[in-house]
Amino acid sequence: MSGRYHRPHGWAWFLARPGYLRFMARELTGFFVAGYLVLLLVTLCRLGAGEAAFAQWLQELSTPSWMFAHVVALVASVWHSVTWFAAVPQAMPIFMGEKRLPAPLAAVVMGYGPWLTVTAVIVWGVLR
Amino acid sequence: MRTEQTMTLEIFRYHPETDSEPYFQAYEVPYDEDWVVLDAINWIKDHVDGSLTHRWSCRMGVCGSCGMMVNGDPKLTCAAFLKDYYPRPIKVEPLVNFPVERDLVVSLDGFMEKLQAVKPYIIRDDVNDTTGGEYRQSPAELARYKQYSMCINCMLCYSACPVAGHEEEFLGPAALALGHRYNRDSRDRGRAERLDVMLAGEAIWGCTFVGECTVVCPKHVDPAGAIQQAKAVAAQEYFKRFVMPRGAKGAET
Repeated sequence: MSGRYHRPHGWAWFLARPGYLRFMARELTGFFVAGYLVLLLVTLCRLGAGEAAFAQWLQELSTPSWMFAHVVALVASVWHSVTWFAAVPQAMPIFMGEKRLPAPLAAVVMGYGPWLTVTAVIVWGVLR
Repeated sequence: MRTEQTMTLEIFRYHPETDSEPYFQAYEVPYDEDWVVLDAINWIKDHVDGSLTHRWSCRMGVCGSCGMMVNGDPKLTCAAFLKDYYPRPIKVEPLVNFPVERDLVVSLDGFMEKLQAVKPYIIRDDVNDTTGGEYRQSPAELARYKQYSMCINCMLCYSACPVAGHEEEFLGPAALALGHRYNRDSRDRGRAERLDVMLAGEAIWGCTFVGECTVVCPKHVDPAGAIQQAKAVAAQEYFKRFVMPRGAKGAET
């Protein structure tokens, strides 16, 4: 005699489907991107503090634990970027007349293309 | 093709008159590789247990009535073949994120309210004026919304969406995709009215782009994509109304 039955929602909802786990991975890897931005800001502050402070900071960053942190941040950032590049064609479809640009091509045009271009410009600027 | 083999369906049972909690009941059904899960449920109702309650109609993936959880996945049971699960048991439950009325039947009330809220029809003042002929639309204009018009309101997307289950204000994938479909229709003039609804509270902003609504959609509507596009339009409208509180509402962009 209890009317409609409402199923309970558990705290572990994200374990129910693989897609939920992929979503959580995409969102949580964003913390690594944000964390690395903080690291870059600290690096700029140390640069502003003088040559000796910056050299000491670079020395600290070259320890094994910081190197490991860099590798983890790189992997997380690449995963975060790739998942959003895959989502871009859904959020920003490109139409050419009545034809929609295929998703892989749209991801290259709006994601991978600009990413690689900016990376190449930065690498060229640093190495020249 | 019918064989001598059988397989087990574990079906969610709940009768509000007698049950305070749901339970699962196992049924042995003949294994036919041409059968879908809906055929097996119908066989149980016809031959074993007439009290089993479920919803279905067309048996061909058009009406959207027979959506259920099949081994944890929201599926149209008329399109879920037994052979894809055989010989393992199949667990059948009502769609999650909806109150259960009875056995495999869920309440549609909340969904229907949300669907109606986005005004899923063409809105224009001169709707009865046919003196100018038909409202013409180019293939390119049709292409801008056609994908989002294929929704059959099967509600699988609501069962795949974790936000729909936790946030009452969220209008949900199908309703928002349909609202977006009409907002993109070149014949429509009702975008401002729909944006009033979409901009309220968590109606659209509740979406975190999990994307599973698109994964489970049997008609490839891509509600997740529609919602992100609608969010962009809603964000523009929000800032327009913020900057020009009197002038922006109703303006077409």
